[in-house]
Amino acid sequence: MVVGIKDAAKLFVISIMVCCAVLVCTMFLNFNMDIAAIKDEITSETVMIFYNAQVSVAKVVSAVSGGCLLITSIIMLIFYIKHYVDIHKKELGILKALGYSNLKIAKNFWIFGISVFIGAVIGFCMAFIIMPLFYEIQNEDKILPEISINFHMELFGYFVIVPTFVFALLSIMFAYFRLKEPVLFLLKDNLQVAAKSGKHKKDKESKEKDCLFTDDLKSSTLKSRKTLTFFIIFASFCFSSMTQMSFSMTDLSSEMFAVMIILIGLVLAFTTLFLAITTVVNSNTKTIAMMRVFGYSQKECCHAILGGYRFISYIGFVIGTIYQYVLLRIAVDIIFKDISNVPEYKFDVPAMFISLISFIVIYEIIMYCYSERIKKISIKEVMLEY
Amino acid sequence: MIEAKEIEKYYGSKESRFKVLKGVSLKIEDGDFAVILGASGSGKSTFLNVLSGLEYADKGTVSYDGMDITKISDDKLTEFRRENIAFIFQQYYLLPNMNVDKNVKMGADLAGNKDYKSIIAAVGLGEKLNKYPSELSGGEQQRVSVARALAKKPKVLFLDEPTGALDEQTGRQVLDYICRLKKEHGFTIIMVTHNQNIAEMANTVIKMNSGKISEVYINNIQKNVYEIGW
Ligand SMILES: Nc1ncnc2c1ncn2[C@@H]1O[C@H](COP(=O)(O)OP(=O)(O)OP(=O)(O)O)[C@@H](O)[C@H]1O
Ligand SMILES: [Mg+2]
Repeated sequence: MVVGIKDAAKLFVISIMVCCAVLVCTMFLNFNMDIAAIKDEITSETVMIFYNAQVSVAKVVSAVSGGCLLITSIIMLIFYIKHYVDIHKKELGILKALGYSNLKIAKNFWIFGISVFIGAVIGFCMAFIIMPLFYEIQNEDKILPEISINFHMELFGYFVIVPTFVFALLSIMFAYFRLKEPVLFLLKDNLQVAAKSGKHKKDKESKEKDCLFTDDLKSSTLKSRKTLTFFIIFASFCFSSMTQMSFSMTDLSSEMFAVMIILIGLVLAFTTLFLAITTVVNSNTKTIAMMRVFGYSQKECCHAILGGYRFISYIGFVIGTIYQYVLLRIAVDIIFKDISNVPEYKFDVPAMFISLISFIVIYEIIMYCYSERIKKISIKEVMLEY
Repeated sequence: MIEAKEIEKYYGSKESRFKVLKGVSLKIEDGDFAVILGASGSGKSTFLNVLSGLEYADKGTVSYDGMDITKISDDKLTEFRRENIAFIFQQYYLLPNMNVDKNVKMGADLAGNKDYKSIIAAVGLGEKLNKYPSELSGGEQQRVSVARALAKKPKVLFLDEPTGALDEQTGRQVLDYICRLKKEHGFTIIMVTHNQNIAEMANTVIKMNSGKISEVYINNIQKNVYEIGW
């Protein structure tokens, strides 16, 4: 067996993300469907306006947050399978060399669908647990008639069954395409890397005369995995934009909205960061182990492997700060255009500082955890695996 | 001087505990060329790893000039390896996503060695600085790992079947580079090998048998790499 439950378990980040996405979507869409049932009971015009507003808010929120989470989890899943195939290239290559067909190997990857299924089911159930409270808040002032909670089978289909199958299929397809590479590419370490980057290295050589090996390693780690760089920027971007937006939200809009935004931001930021850094460390275990054999200290290893990402994450933070300011500026200008006594929106400096400080603290804690993990890499085990 | 006293090493947990080293004692003088011979599974690699501080012994001590390395922390041990030791392995263990130049630089940096390119040239890879390990033949990869180890200017060089994956000619070449540099720098060599003939190059020969040293003898005449059989 190439892919086991254990590998799917490592995908729990995806589960968390899917869980959140399904939770948000189910809650709002279920509300939408239930609220539609009371449409006929509405008589007055003002209530109708309120009704329409509720419907469109529910739609927008589920589309934006749910869609955002869903897209991210799709990207991450694809990325994870790519990574999985990359680090298990040898085993896959051996199976292929022995004569297993690509499809036969790729079929094993359906198991990744399970982690999606688990996340989706939990999200779906949680949505129903939170729903009574949510319905109450939505209809706090009792403007609308009592809305009762109904179970909609089609939602279960859309948010649990369909994603599971789509993701399972996606996994198989993706693995299949990766496996199409020639056996030798799979069996040999980084033949492609070599082929790709072999040429343009030459002209640079003269420049990097006096820098240390660890610096070389730092820059080559950064360069060799551009998707990861993107993910780390994305993670700090989510953190900075969502937390700051949420602070401003409390003034501009409802608290409920603010809480949701901050939760989504944190989930996105942590899951992406976790996945990205885990990948960085995993794909460098050999290098780290050999460096330790030769006597590089844990600190030097961490500096070389992880140090390069610190600056990048700050870039993400800055982009996120600018993004949320521009977005809110525009939103305030458009939405509150016709309304009098608009809440004044200014760049929220204290919020930025709170967000920045918590970002730095959390980032350093996470990096510390990973450096402990690097310390625990067993030299002997890595050598046996080579 | 390296001194191992009554080393024991176990693998596995309680029930399936398996004694790999059953009380091994040994003395190796500075500048020695020691060869460890023995059947497969007799614990040669394990002994080498314990001697070099890659693994902790369960019992016994290993001391370098009187300093016991079995009692120091992992960080201290790493520092010790950094200052004193280099390795060459049968499986090369090169860094897969670094080119030849960077692979050797990894060793050279630790000794502050700026002149490591001359060592790459000395092992005949001057033309292949920008190649990646996957683009090299087995013999070339092993020469990179030799260059990496020697660029570190170690006091003790540990080799675990360095020629195990090489044919006769490349094997001899690799040993030749190592011996030449040993003459120049005078480091200590401790080598595990399956090849009986290589033992004739050494001055101390250690034979291991199921976790114990069964015989140690001194060669008065050391042959050079082209005089031995293969
Ligand atoms: N990490 C490990 N866990 C459990 N047992 C191990 C481990 N490493 C080695 N062994 C066992 O210890 C014994 C000695 O292994 P070692 O690698 O030292 O032998 P060796 O003399 O180097 O053999 P070879 O010549 O084949 O390399 C073997 O029986 C092996 O199965
Ligand atoms: Mg061995």
